[in-house]
Amino acid sequence: MSDTLSFLLMAWLNPGLLGLTALGVLAGIYIGAIPGLSVTMAVSILISFTFSWHIDNALALMVGIYVGGVYGGSRTAILLNIPGAPSAVTTAFDGYPLAQRGEAGRAIGLSTVMSVIGGLIGVLVLAGTAPYLSGLALQFAPRDYFLIAVLGLLLVSSLSGKSLSRGIFSVALGGIIGLVGMDMVTAQPRLTLGQMELLGGIHYVVVMIGLFGVAEALYQLHNLAKVPVKQKVDKIVPPLNMVLKFLPLSVRTSVIGVIVGALPGTGGDIASLFAYDHAKRSVKNPTRPFGEGAYEGLVAPETANNAAVGGAYVPMLTLGMPGDAVTAVIIGALVIHGLNPGPMLMIETPHIFWFTVGNLALANIFLLIFGLTGIKIFSKIVEVPKAVLIPLILVLCVVGTYSINSNMTEVYWMLGFGILGYWLKVFGFQMGPIILGVILGPLLDESYRQAMSSVGDRGGDFLLALVTNPLSLVLTSVITLVLLSNTPLKGWLSRRFGRS
Amino acid sequence: MSKKIERVQAGEKVFDWLLLLLSIGVLIEAYRIDGGLRLNSAGSFPVGLALVMLVSSLALIVSHRYKRRDESIKSALQECQVFLSDHFRSHIVVFSIAAIIYLAAIVWASFYISTFIFLAAMFIYFRQGRVVSSLIITTVAIAVIYVLFTVVFRVYLP
Repeated sequence: MSDTLSFLLMAWLNPGLLGLTALGVLAGIYIGAIPGLSVTMAVSILISFTFSWHIDNALALMVGIYVGGVYGGSRTAILLNIPGAPSAVTTAFDGYPLAQRGEAGRAIGLSTVMSVIGGLIGVLVLAGTAPYLSGLALQFAPRDYFLIAVLGLLLVSSLSGKSLSRGIFSVALGGIIGLVGMDMVTAQPRLTLGQMELLGGIHYVVVMIGLFGVAEALYQLHNLAKVPVKQKVDKIVPPLNMVLKFLPLSVRTSVIGVIVGALPGTGGDIASLFAYDHAKRSVKNPTRPFGEGAYEGLVAPETANNAAVGGAYVPMLTLGMPGDAVTAVIIGALVIHGLNPGPMLMIETPHIFWFTVGNLALANIFLLIFGLTGIKIFSKIVEVPKAVLIPLILVLCVVGTYSINSNMTEVYWMLGFGILGYWLKVFGFQMGPIILGVILGPLLDESYRQAMSSVGDRGGDFLLALVTNPLSLVLTSVITLVLLSNTPLKGWLSRRFGRS
Repeated sequence: MSKKIERVQAGEKVFDWLLLLLSIGVLIEAYRIDGGLRLNSAGSFPVGLALVMLVSSLALIVSHRYKRRDESIKSALQECQVFLSDHFRSHIVVFSIAAIIYLAAIVWASFYISTFIFLAAMFIYFRQGRVVSSLIITTVAIAVIYVLFTVVFRVYLP
């Protein structure tokens, strides 16, 4: 117990970690707020600089950026009607009309307080559920891991992007990229096109920086001339009675946020959409009609997207499955530092888990402080024109990629992935599923081969185990249902039963 | 009952066909791995993923049946023109070419010199000729990059 408490308070009591968390939150708010920059992009680039750092320092900075970044996107959504991050798209629905009514300060203040409430609820759920889940996960067979990874990737495919086919293609493409290189079991080259340079594989940070950095920069070139409309900001701290009035809604939407965030591959954007939909359905008398400046329409997504951060850490720390693109990158950081994300993390390195929990709570406290101050400077900084931002993003991507192995070939690969990512993005493919595929592909391959070996490489026995083991049966059923719900069968059934 | 017609962007159908070709290429490459058709081998999982890519890209192509081009686009030639005007605007082309030259130049001109030239050129071009302020921004940016990456993070740069 005393060990747990000391791990929990590690970031709170160590001045260096305290400073890095504060710096991360502050940087995250601006990164999340500046359209064109994203948290995933920042964490992807950052990972390459923190290779040589102590893991606690690297995690403190990343956690800070993650928490700050998810919140930061809402500020530009309210002030400029330009969501700085996908999770803030819903915030703009009512946030911007509030700003147009001259209530921008109050909207920002309320969104800050609600984000912190959501974030803290997410942390509580993480601390309460993860130890039990990881204990349960230790009982899983390789076959179950395989099924969980398939389910996670299927959910990513179905929930992101404009069609399931695009999502599945993205995940499979990511998996193929992740498998390039020498096979760890047989030492055979796989998908290397006969190139010696590819025997070591393609570093996933290279793919991440290309897809999230360069592709995004190229995509932003389409809106180079877009000039935001500025809003006046005053009275930022919301009155207590206002906070108390919206507290029940924020608790409800926090729960939605945590649950949605815990589904592999979902994240704050989907959580905020679900929460907004819930607010629309459940609030009978909003302050104003939804879409015209209802505070409820601001509270719901803002609470949910920050609660989703804690939720996203649950599958990451217990199963080694990333909850969203940022936690996918953080898994990479843990692996690079020799840690083993998954159920063994709690046994081998419990301090990492409790340190992360304490650090997330601390980041939310800093979020409250930074969120309610410095708004005047903020308004100036987020006006950085894209003409300046886009070339700088490319330079940062080059530095980030080169610093991994001091290898220019990887920089060229990064540019290649950036161009590929740009075209995929143009035609409606999401980058998140590709990255999840890159990270989970090798893990899936490993658990599949272990599962096959456990049944003596007999396909029939493998299939039989999927339906005879209770946990495997549940997972197989869910996978089948998810697949069927995305086929014409769903429409046929609803028409048939609707008619009868 | 009429099915709702979805619109596709100019070039989307061609892109989906290219993805199908990519999937076939990946499948051939995966099949070449020893044991590609055995259930438990180095090649089994890559072959499985390549098949998933193939099937999903085929599904994308089949979905074209329910999709139409924008009403304003009447012919393939016109679609090609729209595609070029959407994605090959002058500033996108200039940035892409400058980025490639910049990456090539890093090796023989050093990181800081090539970055200075790249940033200055891009700022001047994007900001429509505001030379002095662009050079000042470039100098400040290079100074920040130097302090942050070379001094603080101690990143070795070429």
